[in-house]
Amino acid sequence: MFICVGILLHSPHCNKMLPDAAGFSPRAMLAKGLNRFLMTHLTPGKFASVIGLAVLLLLAGCATPPPADDPDAVAEFEQMNDPLEPMNRTIFDFNDWLDRNALKPAALAYRAVTPEFVREGIANAIANLKSPMMFLSDLLQGNVTRGGVTLSRFVINSTVGVAGLWDPATKMGLPGHYSDMGEAFALWGVDEQFYLVLPLFGPSNPRDAIGLGIESTLDPLSYYMNDNHLRWASWARFLVTGLSQREAYIETLDDVKRTSLDYYSAMRSLYRQRRESQIQDARTGDWAPAQP
Amino acid sequence: MKIFPPHLRLPRAFAAVTLAVAVLLSAPASAQKSSDDAKSFIQDLAQQAITTVANRNLSDKDRTDNFRRLFVASFDLPQISQFVLGRYWKNATPEQQQDFIKQFQELQVLNWTQRFKDYKGENLAVTSATKDERGFTVDSQLNHPPAQPLPVQWKIHQGDDGKLLVTDIVVEGVSMAITQRSDYGAMLQGNGGKIDALVNALRTRNDQMRAANGG
Repeated sequence: MFICVGILLHSPHCNKMLPDAAGFSPRAMLAKGLNRFLMTHLTPGKFASVIGLAVLLLLAGCATPPPADDPDAVAEFEQMNDPLEPMNRTIFDFNDWLDRNALKPAALAYRAVTPEFVREGIANAIANLKSPMMFLSDLLQGNVTRGGVTLSRFVINSTVGVAGLWDPATKMGLPGHYSDMGEAFALWGVDEQFYLVLPLFGPSNPRDAIGLGIESTLDPLSYYMNDNHLRWASWARFLVTGLSQREAYIETLDDVKRTSLDYYSAMRSLYRQRRESQIQDARTGDWAPAQP
Repeated sequence: MKIFPPHLRLPRAFAAVTLAVAVLLSAPASAQKSSDDAKSFIQDLAQQAITTVANRNLSDKDRTDNFRRLFVASFDLPQISQFVLGRYWKNATPEQQQDFIKQFQELQVLNWTQRFKDYKGENLAVTSATKDERGFTVDSQLNHPPAQPLPVQWKIHQGDDGKLLVTDIVVEGVSMAITQRSDYGAMLQGNGGKIDALVNALRTRNDQMRAANGG
């Protein structure tokens, strides 16, 4: 995926010009980083298969822009900012197939076998486990106050809240916030670049996908678990997180599917608006601990 | 004013007062609404929804009819439909526009009636209302324990007759109108802007939902 993105960044094939964010060029940054990656890791065999994959994706993956004599359509195309739409739709369909046949049935089963309070406890514990990584993201955003709240929540919920199963911190005036690396990049001024659907992870964009990749390597909890031969615990956490989050959104996604004529476009719009709302919250939110 | 000789000032003052009273009396019956009016409007709407739509003892037909009545009276459907069709609205004939409004309205009615059937005691708490350039924005929270309350924002404006009408609902930062505009816009773009294709697709979807709800 990143190799494809890297090649696309170099190629003029996709007519969409990637915007440069104010102040510095994320495109140049991505290009340089990917160049370095490719130089150090590519062997001839890998190179051949990458070229093959790239050609396939370049031919199949790029959207055809509307004719230039229809300014409304051109404006709409630019605003939609989805130059990889055909490829995205394929991946989206694959994700949907996986969801219908594996993830949603598992989430329904999870809901059927667990009482509500158990699901709530698990959701709390999962959010708590993400705290170390969120703490790093808060600091990268330059938000020391919010980082302090995240850290306090982690300490309180892990001890008083018994491994995060309960959330006494909120009642103490330290409500939870959401934070991730992609958000940090957004606050630095990096735009989404364009819409990208990731296999399994779903709607995203290059900035957030890179954030996701960095998080999986930087997560303090992962280091602890790998050092202590607890790699299976990482996988268990990954699976339970997916299950817990999918269960929470069963009705919402059913609703979107039922009422939308083009599920892909509806999800693209929904994801983008939600993401923008999260980033706005991080930018302008009042993070001082509330009075209990 | 020096123009008027002293003996004409009293009658002039009298004329001014008469004019002022006449203006006040002829002012439109629908006065300018305030933020408090907007808050009450949403509170009322939520209350009516709970009593006339979410009620478990209702028959399906009554539930649907009640919701439709409430929906049409409280939402500015022509305005929302025009927004959702976006740049394709002006290319549609008046007949196509009416067809679209009708099918679009039915889609919302069928979907929401079904969701109200699963009502589990959720309630809407209106927190604040602010005036903006188009009308009002009312902030509220949908309480559905044990999950966290859901932030729901209502965009309202005053219709031509002065009544308050909803033009959009924004849930966790996601606008229903914008999402639907993207959805239908993509569909129209895919088949060359034919409104009839969109209206037919909506009609088919409505039939499917009717069958699913009834079954």
